[in-house]
Amino acid sequence: MNPEPVVVLDNGGSSCKIGMAGASDPFRLFPNAVGRSKGERQSFVGDQIVGYPDASSLSLKRPFDRGYLVSWDVEKSVWWRAFKSMLQQQPQDCGLLMTEAPFNLPSIQTSTMQMVFEEYGFKSFLAMPAQPLSLLEWQAQQPSLPANTAGIGVVVDAGFSFTHAVPMCDGRLLPGAVRRINVGGKALTNYFKELVSYRSINMMEETYLVDNIKEQVCFVSTHLASDLTASRKGTHKLEYVLPDGVNERIGYARKPLAKGEHTEKNAKEQVLTLNNERFMVPEVLFQPTDIGLQQAGLPQAIVEAVEAAPTDLHPLLYSNVLCTGGCATCPGFQDRLYRELRALVPDDFEASASS
Amino acid sequence: MERRSVRSRKVSKRIATVSAAERENVTHARLEALENDDAAGEGVVGDSDEEFLLEESDEEMEFGKRSKKSKGAKRKTRAMLEAERKGPLTFASLLEEAAASEDPMAKEVARMYSAAAAGPPEGAAPRRWCSVCGFAAPYKCVRCGSRFCTRKCYAVHMETRCLKFVG
Ligand SMILES: [Zn+2]
Ligand SMILES: [Zn+2]
Repeated sequence: MNPEPVVVLDNGGSSCKIGMAGASDPFRLFPNAVGRSKGERQSFVGDQIVGYPDASSLSLKRPFDRGYLVSWDVEKSVWWRAFKSMLQQQPQDCGLLMTEAPFNLPSIQTSTMQMVFEEYGFKSFLAMPAQPLSLLEWQAQQPSLPANTAGIGVVVDAGFSFTHAVPMCDGRLLPGAVRRINVGGKALTNYFKELVSYRSINMMEETYLVDNIKEQVCFVSTHLASDLTASRKGTHKLEYVLPDGVNERIGYARKPLAKGEHTEKNAKEQVLTLNNERFMVPEVLFQPTDIGLQQAGLPQAIVEAVEAAPTDLHPLLYSNVLCTGGCATCPGFQDRLYRELRALVPDDFEASASS
Repeated sequence: MERRSVRSRKVSKRIATVSAAERENVTHARLEALENDDAAGEGVVGDSDEEFLLEESDEEMEFGKRSKKSKGAKRKTRAMLEAERKGPLTFASLLEEAAASEDPMAKEVARMYSAAAAGPPEGAAPRRWCSVCGFAAPYKCVRCGSRFCTRKCYAVHMETRCLKFVG
């Protein structure tokens, strides 16, 4: 008996990854959103958004709210587009393995299951949190790491809607020990947007573009005080040349031009001036109180998570902290996390932060 | 420079201070706004979802059997019908529903979701950053409680932001 082929869908709040289990083809990545062009009433679904030349002018609608799937009108279009254009197989011939956030509500699970079977006709369906899959991948890369041999570790998932510290044992999540900070990449982008709009040029209508700029210019400070001092002197100052809508789609960052360097071309440019926003925005993950959110920062949340796990697991958990998610790719993230975690973890424990 | 943000001051001239409760409301509203999808008026699940729907026949075109069946009338699953009945959903409403549910499983998941929230910050007092320029801010606006670092930033604050959200 041949087992049916399985479609794997990593269904994230910001983007999806889709592919066939066990296949050598790389997974396809696309936004989990539908974009509408302002003015014209035209819709762009999933990967069509990326392909649209003037993507920064689109206003995006997402099926997720606070990290959970709530809007089927939007998700349905995105999935149809993905299943139709990115798979060689028909859903009716496949099973579906899908990721979901920890503590997904039964009501959401029920509507998801109905969709999967009634709308798309999959043969079978399984949903599971993404973090055990990340740990599995890491185990395959570092099989000799003592914690990995036991499937023990903390997956720090710094995602779009929130940030999780997920302790695991035997490759399985320890549900009572999971900790969540209610801030993720989406809030950071909006915060960044607010700051540059107030300080430089109004970008409130251009979330997609601001998100791209954030990805290019933001970093996590490893020494905040010295970066702030350097920032006052202009060391971190950047100019971001906004797209002109003709030749440039996304724009680009450059060091500020000196007085004599301006050309006629420069006079027509719209330039966003960036300074301490570059690192004060990701700083929120480490100090949510900076935006008024009364929650612990990431290092303390990891400690809370580990302390909620059985005591004998603590040394191995601290020795294997794995960083995943979009925000974890911000330069400096891992260094800073390691530095702060080291200071909080007992001296005789090994601490690590990898990605 | 037409893109330059021009922020009008919709602030009452009277010198009023804002109560702690009001300040908290402002902070809360701001945190909510940071979770919004797109600017101005479009919430997480808006009322104009219809415009985003593709034609059903187009969506299902390449799934042979399906497309014949669904030509013409729009087929709806139970989940969709239910969604229509309830209107746009938010996670908060679903969580509330689960917490109040008769189903012990739903209740338990809702409890665990809430228990997983990272606790309040420990140790050091919150850091104070200038609401205008972002650098360390030793001073506080007596009207609204926003922080500022220098006379210059205070002037900008009064001109643009003070009580803007509550005025
Ligand atoms: Zn200032
Ligand atoms: Zn004020």
